[in-house]
Amino acid sequence: MQSFVFDHIPNNNIAYFALYSPVQNPAELKRRIIEAAKIEGEEGDKERDAVNFAFIDASLITSKLHLETAIYQAILAESQGSLRTKTVHSEILFALNPTNNITEAIRRYGVSDSTKSLLIAHITDKSKSSSAIEEKLNKVVDGTMVSFKELDAITDWDRIKKYYKLEKESKEKGAIQSQRSFIDNVVVSSVAMKTVMQ
Amino acid sequence: MSASQNLIKSSHLVSQGAEAASRLSFPCLQKYQCPKVYKAHLTPDSPPLLLKYRFQKQYRHPSLDVNLTRSRIAGEARALLKCLRSGVNVPGIRMVDATEGVLGIEWIEGQSVRKLLPGESEGDDEGEGEVGEEPTDEEKLDALKEYGVSIDQLMSLIGTEIAKMHLADVIHGDLTTSNMILRRPSSSSIPDIPTQTQLFLIDFGLSYTSSLIEDKAVDLYVLERAFSSTHPDSSLMFTGVLAAYQKKMGEKRWGVVKARLDDVRLRGRKRSMVG
Ligand SMILES: Nc1ncnc2c1ncn2[C@@H]1O[C@H](COP(=O)(O)OP(=O)(O)O)[C@@H](O)[C@H]1O
Ligand SMILES: [Mg+2]
Repeated sequence: MQSFVFDHIPNNNIAYFALYSPVQNPAELKRRIIEAAKIEGEEGDKERDAVNFAFIDASLITSKLHLETAIYQAILAESQGSLRTKTVHSEILFALNPTNNITEAIRRYGVSDSTKSLLIAHITDKSKSSSAIEEKLNKVVDGTMVSFKELDAITDWDRIKKYYKLEKESKEKGAIQSQRSFIDNVVVSSVAMKTVMQ
Repeated sequence: MSASQNLIKSSHLVSQGAEAASRLSFPCLQKYQCPKVYKAHLTPDSPPLLLKYRFQKQYRHPSLDVNLTRSRIAGEARALLKCLRSGVNVPGIRMVDATEGVLGIEWIEGQSVRKLLPGESEGDDEGEGEVGEEPTDEEKLDALKEYGVSIDQLMSLIGTEIAKMHLADVIHGDLTTSNMILRRPSSSSIPDIPTQTQLFLIDFGLSYTSSLIEDKAVDLYVLERAFSSTHPDSSLMFTGVLAAYQKKMGEKRWGVVKARLDDVRLRGRKRSMVG
């Protein structure tokens, strides 16, 4: 498990993240996340705590900087009381999607029945250790935690090109590495400037 | 204190206020909201960022001020994204905090073209308030050698990049040699590809979208004036810029821009005779 440490953020200044691939129980995860929002009382609080993560379809993430940028904009929105969604974790999914449609963001970037690899993030403060987070995570996810480097083989560049309408532009970049670096830069930039897009 | 205020506190000041050429051509615009720029990191392991901070003026109505700051940042970010998508070399966007007036963009490791070309030294009241000393003309030419490009090649890089930007219908609005950075060849982010020296256009604070020939011609004229005021005996250099611009635009598009540029020059000369 890795982390981004944003020292200048007053609260919630650490984001733990891990890549799971393959994931065996995406359908169950999805169901639990949906159910958790509905259950009332103490039992509901417990279940919401158990799934209190951002579950991100890893195939739509282009780089570590892409993940960091979405997390940062979500934390910034939370620190200013301007979240567009219910939690800082769903805000990450919102930040990742090029449109302002929240349902679409969760459908595209969240966990679905067919998700094979997940990037999972948890935003907290420095009082929580990574081992405590990891333990909690292993209770809900049935899958293998792998090094972040594995993302290279997981990213679905064609789908990302489609979402960002970059098919024609990226072709002009020639070599595959140049194409990917171009797409990554446009995608990261789009996430970073989403609050002033419209 | 807010997150962005803390971030600025933990970063290094790079420069303060606008440079001479743009202050001369847009005096009223530059008086309001000159940004301060800083080098920063979001996390200790993150790549460096350039933060542009438009601090809020106290004398204006606060909420009006926030909206003005917000729309300037939005304008700059949108122009950058339009350029990025069209393959123009500009810094990527890395964070936006419109509420606090902060725009974070990719740090381009290199040197501003102004500091690579022979020209006047700074230190007078037209200085841009940058931290550090102005090198001599000789030191500048040595520095240029490190980038592996000649002055002619540099002019060609400039003309090509401006043409790409105009083909995307982005008008820069403040083309000067300070608003261009020659990137060090080694600092590209793609590991497997041999990297050439690249020219980056920066500072889209006064940019806008337009397909009008007039706007493109004026953009070039502003640069021509900037060249002649900052770099003496640079008319041949500027000819090199236009030659590359022509090549990238294609004959047909260049023909109309060229005719209009001659027009704009004439108007400029008349105005300076009157005033
Ligand atoms: N992306 C960048 N990477 C590195 N240095 C930059 C970058 N953007 C700007 N700078 C430096 O900061 C100076 C001021 O930035 P600029 O965007 O031109 O603002 P302004 O001229 O309005 O103050 C530039 O002249 C350049 O030296
Ligand atoms: Mg400038």
